Amino acid sequence: MISMLGLTRPVAFFGSVVLSFGRSAPNRWRFRAPDFARVLADCSARALLIVLLVNLLVGAILAFVGAVQLVKFGAGIFVADLVAIAVSREMAAVITAVVMCGRTGAAFAAELATMQANDEVDALEVLGLPAIDHLVVPRVLALVAMMPLLYVFGCVAGLMGGFIVGAGMLQLPGSAYFDRSVDALGFDHLGLGFVKAIAFGLLVALAGCYQGLHAPRTAAGVGEAATRSVVAGIVGVIALDAVFAVCAHVLGV
Amino acid sequence: MLKVQNLSMRMGDRLIQEQISFEVEPGTIFAILGISGCGKSTLLRHLVGLLEPAGGTIHYDAVDYWASDDAARLGLRAGFGVLFQSGALWSSMSVLDNVLLPLAQQASLDAAAREARARETLSWLGMESFADFRPADLSGGMTKRAGLARAIAPQPRLLFLDEPSAGLDPSSAKHLDDLILEIRQRTGCAILMVTHDLPSIFAVADDCIFLDTDSKRPIAHGKPSSLRDAPAHPTVTAFLHRQDVVTP
Repeated sequence: MISMLGLTRPVAFFGSVVLSFGRSAPNRWRFRAPDFARVLADCSARALLIVLLVNLLVGAILAFVGAVQLVKFGAGIFVADLVAIAVSREMAAVITAVVMCGRTGAAFAAELATMQANDEVDALEVLGLPAIDHLVVPRVLALVAMMPLLYVFGCVAGLMGGFIVGAGMLQLPGSAYFDRSVDALGFDHLGLGFVKAIAFGLLVALAGCYQGLHAPRTAAGVGEAATRSVVAGIVGVIALDAVFAVCAHVLGV
Repeated sequence: MLKVQNLSMRMGDRLIQEQISFEVEPGTIFAILGISGCGKSTLLRHLVGLLEPAGGTIHYDAVDYWASDDAARLGLRAGFGVLFQSGALWSSMSVLDNVLLPLAQQASLDAAAREARARETLSWLGMESFADFRPADLSGGMTKRAGLARAIAPQPRLLFLDEPSAGLDPSSAKHLDDLILEIRQRTGCAILMVTHDLPSIFAVADDCIFLDTDSKRPIAHGKPSSLRDAPAHPTVTAFLHRQDVVTP
């Protein structure tokens, strides 16, 4: 089945990464600390502004869309509930993952594909330094660690976007909007979004690293790897989100 | 030291070369020759363990590389130094860090000893003042010398050089040839180089093998000067005398 879907190599790659994590406990990680710090900064502080901006706009759009129907029934204040639930449960995690896929996942793919084309990966392998340990593990670790934090910032920005539209343009009372938002934000919604963020971070990092390390050893291969990583990452995020939706429904979350 | 027997190489279904056999003795410089695209660099990638041969054997000190387990292969590779054609310096690191990383694999050296060794090697190759530079800030010749420093700093027993003088001006290429001879003299390591640079071949190589594109197998083996003076094959004659190949 896996072979028929052409997933043999990606699954083998995922297995190699899992094994690498298994054999290199935190006190024996083999990558260089400066490399990890650089990737960590790239996955967090340098990505924060665009994550905030996009989530702010998505929150605002959700408020507008909700208002179209809810105001007709005199239930405009429930725009706050809609935005809070949609942002915390769904949109902040998905939108942040899509942004990171286009930004960081593509950068991972392009960087590793360039290293592949320049024989830098071979130079590591000849020394007995597996590329997975030195190049993939720090990137996966960094994105998995930072995605939940970005999700939290994305949530705040999304709620802020909804508040700006609700209180500023739909003339809803600001304090009432705030209270309804806080009431609607349950731990189940936030917990689900948090778990999704971790899973999406893993998927985006793996897609970028896989495409980078399996790119053709040419200049064109670098662009190809970046494109493939974005496509695979976004499709993967949406597919995984659908799986989460079904699981959440079945589990009653 | 290195013994290759009846090696054949394939890329998928495509045969690259076959029936390759040669030996490299300690302290000698062996050249792999051939026109572009004949499979020289592919052969080097097989020899350093990056690609598995389709057939034949590669022995290092009588140990069959591909019949060994991973730990044994890692042990054998610890005795290799490799200069890739592009230099292959790790772009996110400084030149000094590039030289330090292979040394970090040597448990016998502490951090101070590693740094001293790295700086000493860079100084030997005239790269000391560029230790803190990034690879992107180096010229082609400097990149080759930094790559060479990274390859020789761990004091390998067998040094692999993939077209070391490719892309260099004649004086830089001559300087690199002199460095290769000096490395052999000072370290006693065996050197295997892939090249089609005629001045380098005659200046440094003790022995060589010529890979043919058409027949996909070696067509000459011996001292470069002997092959030039008494060639056995028109392709080799044309190559070593820088002439067009005369087809009968």
